[in-house]
Order: sequence, then C-alpha cells, then structure tokens
Amino acid sequence: MHGRRHSTTSNPALNRRALLAAAGAAALTAACGTAEGRPPGEVALHGDNPSWDEPIAAAGRRMKTLAGIELVPLVIPSVESFEQIVKSSLRTSKTPDMLKYWSGYRLQDLARTGGIIEMTGPWKRAAARGWVDPELRGAFTYQGRVWALPMNLTYWVFFYNTEVFAQHDLEAPKTWDDFLAVCKRLKSAGITPLHATTDGRWPAFIWFMEVLTRQDPRFYRDLMNGRGSYNDPRAVRALRTIVSFFDNDWFTPMDMSHDDAAAAVVHGTLGMMPGGTFLTPNLQAAGGKPGADVDAFVLPMADPRARPSMIFESSALVCTSKGPDRAEAVKAADQWLHPRVSEAFTHTLQDGCPNPLVKPANPMVEGIARTVREKRLWMLNRFWEQGPPELVESTVDDLAGFLLDPSSYRQVLRTMQERADEAWRVWREAEKV
Amino acid sequence: MSETLSTARPLRARRRIPTRTPGRASGAGAARGRLGSPGSSLLWAAPALAFVGILLVYPFFRSVYGSLFADNGFTSEFVGLDNYVRLAEDPILGRSLINTVMWVAGTLLLPVAVGLLIAVATYRMRLGNLATLVIVLPYAISGASTAVVWKFMLTSGGAVNQVLGAVGLESLAQPWLLEWPQNTLSLIVAGTWQATGINVVLFTIGLRAIPRDIVEAAHLDGVSGWSMFRHITLPQLRAMTVVVVGMAIVNSLKAFDLIWVLTQGGPSRSSETLALTMYREAFRLFHVGYGSAVALVLSVIVVAASWLYLRRQMPGGTRD
Repeated sequence: MHGRRHSTTSNPALNRRALLAAAGAAALTAACGTAEGRPPGEVALHGDNPSWDEPIAAAGRRMKTLAGIELVPLVIPSVESFEQIVKSSLRTSKTPDMLKYWSGYRLQDLARTGGIIEMTGPWKRAAARGWVDPELRGAFTYQGRVWALPMNLTYWVFFYNTEVFAQHDLEAPKTWDDFLAVCKRLKSAGITPLHATTDGRWPAFIWFMEVLTRQDPRFYRDLMNGRGSYNDPRAVRALRTIVSFFDNDWFTPMDMSHDDAAAAVVHGTLGMMPGGTFLTPNLQAAGGKPGADVDAFVLPMADPRARPSMIFESSALVCTSKGPDRAEAVKAADQWLHPRVSEAFTHTLQDGCPNPLVKPANPMVEGIARTVREKRLWMLNRFWEQGPPELVESTVDDLAGFLLDPSSYRQVLRTMQERADEAWRVWREAEKV
Repeated sequence: MSETLSTARPLRARRRIPTRTPGRASGAGAARGRLGSPGSSLLWAAPALAFVGILLVYPFFRSVYGSLFADNGFTSEFVGLDNYVRLAEDPILGRSLINTVMWVAGTLLLPVAVGLLIAVATYRMRLGNLATLVIVLPYAISGASTAVVWKFMLTSGGAVNQVLGAVGLESLAQPWLLEWPQNTLSLIVAGTWQATGINVVLFTIGLRAIPRDIVEAAHLDGVSGWSMFRHITLPQLRAMTVVVVGMAIVNSLKAFDLIWVLTQGGPSRSSETLALTMYREAFRLFHVGYGSAVALVLSVIVVAASWLYLRRQMPGGTRD
C-alpha cells in the first residue's frame, strides 16, 4: 500500500530531493559567505555584549558617511563562546576582521599571538588631532607598540540617589571621612549603605580595587603589574577596611545582582552602588534619570597625601591580521576616533568617550568627566584587565571567598600571592619566547 | 531447554530446531553472495560505525591525546602526564568530586524516589494523567530557563526567603546560593523539580505494564498496602527502575546547565562539579590540555559507574 503510493507519486520525492539540495546549497553558500567576509563597503565588528549592538550600528552608519565603510555589529552573546571563536580562529583566514576586546593584559595576550594588527599609526594620527586621551595609551600598549584603539571610556564611580541623599541631609562625599559618615547616616536611616556582590563572579574584585586605589594607588599599580605582594601590609589593610564595613553591616547580601542593585538605588532602598558608567542603562531601565534623581561621585581618597586616582575601563577595537576584509578594517579603525563616529557610539551607549572633543553623553557622565579634569585624577585600569588573565580569573574567586567569609582575609591573600607567583613566572617565561 | 532436548533425543531435536542464518533469511542465493555475506555486514554497519567513530570515538581519543599537552589555544607543548599529576594535586578537585557525588546521591534520592512515589500515588487516580502532566511540564523547559526561574527564587532577597518571612519563618531564611553545602543542595532541589516529571512518566508506564493477574492473585492472598508495594509492585518495576536509575546516574554526573546559570560553580568555586571544572579549565582559562584531562577523568567515572550499575542490574547481567 505504502509502496504503491510512493511509486505512483514521484513528485513529492523529487520535491524532497530538490528541497534537500536547495538546503545544502544554501548552507554551503552561507558557509562560504562567512569565509569570504562581508560585501565591499562593510566590515563586521564582533563583540560579546548584546547591548553594544545598536551603539556599534550607530557608529557604523556615521562612519559610512565619512569613510564609505559601514560597521556591522555581530554579537556572540556569551563571553566564553566569543573568546573561543577569537582564540581558535585568530591564526586562520576565517577569523573576524574586527573585535571588541579587553584592554590591558588581555590585549597583550592577544598581541603576543601575532594575530592582530599594530595600531600605533592610527593612534598617532588620532592623538595628533586631539581625538584620544593620551593617558589611555598604556592600556593598549605592549612592548612599546599600540595594538588597539579605545572604544569607550567607562569611569568607575559610586551611583547614588540624589533625592534620598537630600531627604537625609547628605551630599556626595568629598573626603573619606565624609564617605564613612554617609554610610553611617544611611544605616541609621534603615537604608543599606553599600552594594557588594559575588553574583556573576567578576564583581568580587570591585571592593578590593576601589579601597586599595584610594589607600595607595601606586601600590595598586605595582601589585597589578607583578611588582608587589598580596601579603604586603597595604593589601592586608585594604581587606581589613572592607572587613570593618562588614562589621558595620553596611553591605547588601552578596548575591544581589547589578540589575537589582540599580533598581534598589533608584527606589531608594540602597544607598550607593560602586560600578562602571556602563551601568547607566541599568539605572535608566529602573526609571532613574542620570544627572537628575540619580547621580554618581568618584570615591574620595582615603589617604589625602596619595595621588588622587580613579579606576577606568576601556574596550579595545582590534583588527586581526588574517581577516578577509582587513584592508577595510584598518581604514575603518583609522576613522573610529573621529569625533562624529565616537559621538554616535558613546551617546547611544550612554558611556564616557575616549575622545575629549566629544560632548559627554549625559549630565552624569559630564559631571564625572569634569571631576577627572579638575582634580587631574590618575586613571588606573580595572582589576579585570590587570595581570595575566588566568591569574585574574582565579583571584576573583579568591576575593569572592573573602566576601563570603571576611575573617579569612589573611588566608585569601596568601592564596592569591601563591597564584600570583606561579602566574607571573609563566607570563614572564612566555615573554622571553 | 535445548540442552534437555539434545540429551534425550539429540538427532530429532536437531532436525526440528529451525536454524536460519540472516544470510539465508535474506532469500536468493545470488543476493546472499553479494549483500548477505558476513563481510558485507560491515557495509551495512558502516554508516552507524562512521557516525560513532567520528562523533564519539575520535573525539575521545583526541581528548586523551590532547590531555598530554599544555595547550592554551595558541601554543601546544607535550608534557606527558603532567596534567594528570596537576589534577591530582589541585585542591579544587576534592570539592568538585564531593559535589559530583552529592549530585549523584541527591539525584537518586530525590527525582527517582519522588518520581516513584508520585507515579504510585497517581497512576490509578481519576485525574492521575492530569497530575502527571502537571509534574512533567518542567521537563519541557530548558535547563537554562529553569535556572533563571530558580535564581529568582533562591537569591537572598528572592521568593523563597520572602515567603518564609511572610509566614513568620524568617529564622529559616538563608543565603541559599552563597554557602556550601547548601548551595549544592539547593541546586539539586532545583534539578529535582525539573527531572522528576520524566521519572513519573516512566514509572507510570512500568506500573501499567504490571500484569493484572499478578496483582489480583496477590489481593486474593490478602496482600495489600506496603506489602503489595514491597513484594509485588517494586519487583515488577525492576526493568523500568534500571532505566530510570541508570539515566539518573549519568544525568547527575554530567549536570551542567543549571549550575552554570545559577552559580557558575561559585561563589569561590564552592558549587563546582567535575563537568564545570572541565568547562572552566578548557573554555574559560583555555587550559585545553588540562580540561581534556578532567574530561577524561569524568568520562572514566561515568562509564565505570554506568557499567558497574548495569552489569549488576540488567536482566541476565548477574549470570556473568
């Protein structure tokens, strides 16, 4: 019965074959399309963050009018998958042409492979036009050469609710003692003063980084570059300061996400949230208006004699050596820091801009940028980008252990130093090769 | 049976027993020569062998080979058994193994036992099918989505602690995901919520397959309640239990998505299992060789556990 039906109706079988052939051809075409890159006039920029999709597209449209090249965002919304694709393809001709990567040691790790194009030329041309903050150069340099261009400039600040502060006769703190007084006042008013979290793993480093840079920024720089020890009394002092905050019960539960914390700041149940200005959209999503009911301050120095400092973060625009459209990618990179392109990007992202000629994206960012200028703050790169990546991946877990058991601070620092000894040994050996 | 026959009347018995080989069964002699010969059986098995070879055997041996190298994704250097030595000395291995064992024990204790209980309680109920459907629904949700829902419930300010506070049980409120071992236990409970449904279905199928005459005979002998369950139902469910427990062991050993989304193995690697250790080493830290070594250890444990269990439990297995 079935056999007869099949034998008398051959068209469906043919149709199926045709369909399969068409699907196969389509898959083959798609695969070849990827290998051959984008059509002329388009360059793909691969990243790991879906919220950067629209800002990159906005910058790409602006670039099209300036350089005739459109940037097309291609987001792989998983850090792991993104890194896997980058690391596994960098030595092949299938590699993406442009990448949104990390600065600091993570970029150095990539530069060591020889798979990315040197950007010293584009940097110099941008610097000559005043299109880039020269202080950022170190974060993109390896062995005296520049390997990427800054995409954004995130300032690491403390977000707070201006209305809640006004209700309790508080102002953004100007000194370390002011900061402690604000925490005490908020606590007595029944508001949890500070956000700290291990949610998502990486945020575990935030408090160590913030406190250490305000107590001794030079030691932070040395420690992050393998020239200091985690067993040093200055590192112990930083963790003991955080322990005292725990003793005062100033922190939120350690599993409160940044999304929830941003909402809690906007709704007035959380006093202050340390974080990068990339969190501005989180505050806006919770109904906050940056520069109006929500604002930010730079954490004051705990040691007034130390050089005034703050933490920054800047993503790296990288061009790969073997990408199929590398000539167009380099041409696009040359225009990345053009004020009109940078403006389109950072205003859509609502973050700080590495080009000092670009108007800040919102009043809150404007206020922070003014503080940086007026106080001539020393910009230090974030913990995540400092030191061999595999060391950072381990020490964030150690710091999470500390946040969950603050009394373990000495043991945590000993463990971190043991890891640092090994990781720096491997890093320096690789440098010789 | 055949031995008895051959002892009593060997010649007649031999003539009576049909002995058709697959080659003869296929029909014509010419075809037997081309497609039914023992050699040509390899041809028929080739597609399956190719699939297993390419997708399972080759990756396995490639991992074994890869585990002998220090490979960071860019450069690769032969280091012999160093990765295994390092693994044995890695302090995280102990915690990872304990968590893995907790997952195996917890998965056997909760989804299997609870699944059996629910199946027994509902399979004769009028609305039993509806109850089963409700319980099986979470199984249709992906592990990652399940994790998102449970994260909403298990964080310190989450639904569980809020409900405890609302009913005056604030003292029982916990940071469920922050401290070991309660974070691993909480993850197992979340896994139970998702995995129980399929066990209920399988046990219900097993219960419906129990011959009615056995149950009726037991009733006539005055067996009921716990005795019925212990001496009739449970032995009759043995084949299905083998399947359910076997699946539970393997699933618990490879538990990953729920843990990754809920805690990423943290905080401070406290909820990491071997599967997460492997992923973290291979794909986050790009210690590809070391990750391969962890993968191999995990594979050996999965295969050994499955083999030991099935060898004892599969019908006929005990005769070996």
